[in-house]
Amino acid sequence: MFAAQILINALVLGCLYACIAIGFSLVWGVLNVINLIHGSFIVLGAYLAWSLYQGFHVSPWYALVIAAPLFFVFGYVIQRIVLNRVITAPVLVTLTMTFGLDLILNNAMIYYFKADYRKLTLKPPMGSVSIFDVVVPVDRLVATIAALALTGILYLILRRLRVGRAIVAVRLDRDAAVLMGVDVNAIYAIAFGLGTALAGCAGVLMALIFPISPLTSTAYLGKAFVVCVLGGLGSVSGALAGGVLLALIEGVGSAMFGPAHATTLSFVLLIVFLILRPQGLLGRKGFE
Amino acid sequence: MARSLPLYARLSRSLVVAAAVALSASAAFAQDVIKFGAPLPLTGPLAPEAIKQQQGYDLWAEQVNKAGGISVGGKKYKVEIVYSDYQSNTPRAVQATEQMITQDGVNFMFSPFGSGAAKAASSLSERYKMPTIASTASSPQVYDQGYKYLFGTFTPNDTLTTPLTKIVKAKAPNVKKVAILARNDLFPLAIAQEMEKSAKANGLDVVYFEKYAIGTLDHSATLSQIKSLAPQWIFVTGYINDLLLVRKQMSDQEIKADVVSMIAGPAYQEFIDAAGPSGENISSAAWWHPAAKYDGKDIFGTTANYVKLFREKYKSDPDYAQASASVSGALFQMAIEKAGTLDKEKVRDALAATDVMTFWGPVRFGPTGQINSLEPPVFQLQGGKAIVLSPDIIKQGEFKLGVN
Repeated sequence: MFAAQILINALVLGCLYACIAIGFSLVWGVLNVINLIHGSFIVLGAYLAWSLYQGFHVSPWYALVIAAPLFFVFGYVIQRIVLNRVITAPVLVTLTMTFGLDLILNNAMIYYFKADYRKLTLKPPMGSVSIFDVVVPVDRLVATIAALALTGILYLILRRLRVGRAIVAVRLDRDAAVLMGVDVNAIYAIAFGLGTALAGCAGVLMALIFPISPLTSTAYLGKAFVVCVLGGLGSVSGALAGGVLLALIEGVGSAMFGPAHATTLSFVLLIVFLILRPQGLLGRKGFE
Repeated sequence: MARSLPLYARLSRSLVVAAAVALSASAAFAQDVIKFGAPLPLTGPLAPEAIKQQQGYDLWAEQVNKAGGISVGGKKYKVEIVYSDYQSNTPRAVQATEQMITQDGVNFMFSPFGSGAAKAASSLSERYKMPTIASTASSPQVYDQGYKYLFGTFTPNDTLTTPLTKIVKAKAPNVKKVAILARNDLFPLAIAQEMEKSAKANGLDVVYFEKYAIGTLDHSATLSQIKSLAPQWIFVTGYINDLLLVRKQMSDQEIKADVVSMIAGPAYQEFIDAAGPSGENISSAAWWHPAAKYDGKDIFGTTANYVKLFREKYKSDPDYAQASASVSGALFQMAIEKAGTLDKEKVRDALAATDVMTFWGPVRFGPTGQINSLEPPVFQLQGGKAIVLSPDIIKQGEFKLGVN
């Protein structure tokens, strides 16, 4: 039963990790930008959910609907106004740019919300369900389903919609896409907007689970980074696979060797992947 | 400074000149002011702690100056706190301390933040015979160096866990098995190790002792393991975010226990607010708590008055960090007034002879300079409020069993 519990914990946590990472993966894969603001976007999403619930009793499920377009516009504007100016520069320049933007956003949140830890506590709490003594908290379960749904929606956008095909085209070969008449700058902005919207939605879901503070943004960013490397960049299913793999390693490692070594194990795994399979679990060679 | 770069030497020389000019300019009224040096990590990772220290010192200085100042031999002196930011970098804390003593001409010193930095800077206090109070150093290793000029307001860590264990032992006879989960960090780990010792000394069985890494986002695997061991007492150390997450995941996994103790979260209003009903019956201990009721002889008087003044100034409740900073100032004030002079040697002797009740609790320093009179309160969250369970003179309620 204990083993089953550990496995279920890891599966659920893995989907949350995927949810954290998927926007980051999209932006890195399509724009080749290591988006260091990602963690702060997630925290901002969490604050949005928290403020709506505390101030207006808006349930986080509705907050998702509000967050998605809001964050999309936010991301779109940032890409259009700021990032597009340096998008063709070497990766270090865009990295520095997003680092700077992250400092601004994160400190603005510290200023506005303070560094105090908050908690979105649903009234009444959602509780847990248990099947054969294996306990699964309902909020995590719902967040997992929402994370899977978001991942599915992104997959459909990229596969079925014209704009999605354009994003994939730009990702595969920027120059060829330009020659085919794709407005690359607009596609970049849409991709960044999508990535930001996913981060915002992830934040809303995380608000149900983790304490909220601007200081947690680096933890989210770190997880997103590891998940992307494990799963493969820019691939929707890769983020899911990477998230579950990371959570499994952490969960099983923690149960076997003690929680102090869980993080060490996950980073050892990261190094092993970087050496043996730099394209990640599901990434294709050439796009890493 | 033979190792210094020429540029640095030139820079520091011009700084000395600038400081000298500034000093002579202010010399006209300088004799009516007592300067206290407070090197603090105002920026960097320790900044939130430094701000608490600053709030505590500022509140004390404000109250003293409002009352006219510190009287020394019939003359009133205003208090000025000289701050210096050492950027959460211990070697810089030592430099800042030396600069304050040798160049800024401070009369007395407060130690930099925490046991490590306080210990590093304490050798300077000794060398320059500078009476110094450490308001956030609990490790006995800070005080056992044979120094005469260092005093501290925190008792050793085991004084937090021992009374807690005693209460559990007395009120919860069913508790046999203890699980301890500690943040792998200086203070939280030290407290957990003291807890392990005190549990074993009281015949309890420590069935689980593990550390979790700083920045851990998920405790589900750990908690599943603890659940499978069915301990009656779960003891977790960490900071507010860790403890909120652990508490949330405990409810998620339907983990129940007779006793759940957490250090240091429940000492902060922020934790109580964020934990809400899930905080019910969580027990903890801290060096001081605003719910304590001492009737002090210091400038703040009663604990309630201190809390009131603090609320008026900062619109929030003080915790032990801020209170310790304030009491450090108040102790200096009483020692200076008793000595009747600013002579460092005499003030040092007056500090060493301190035996007084304060809003912080009874204060006497042991032979090493560390306070040995204080019994840190054990408290429990009941109905969204922290209720003091011990020591008896400030007890407010009875220990309740069961955290669901």
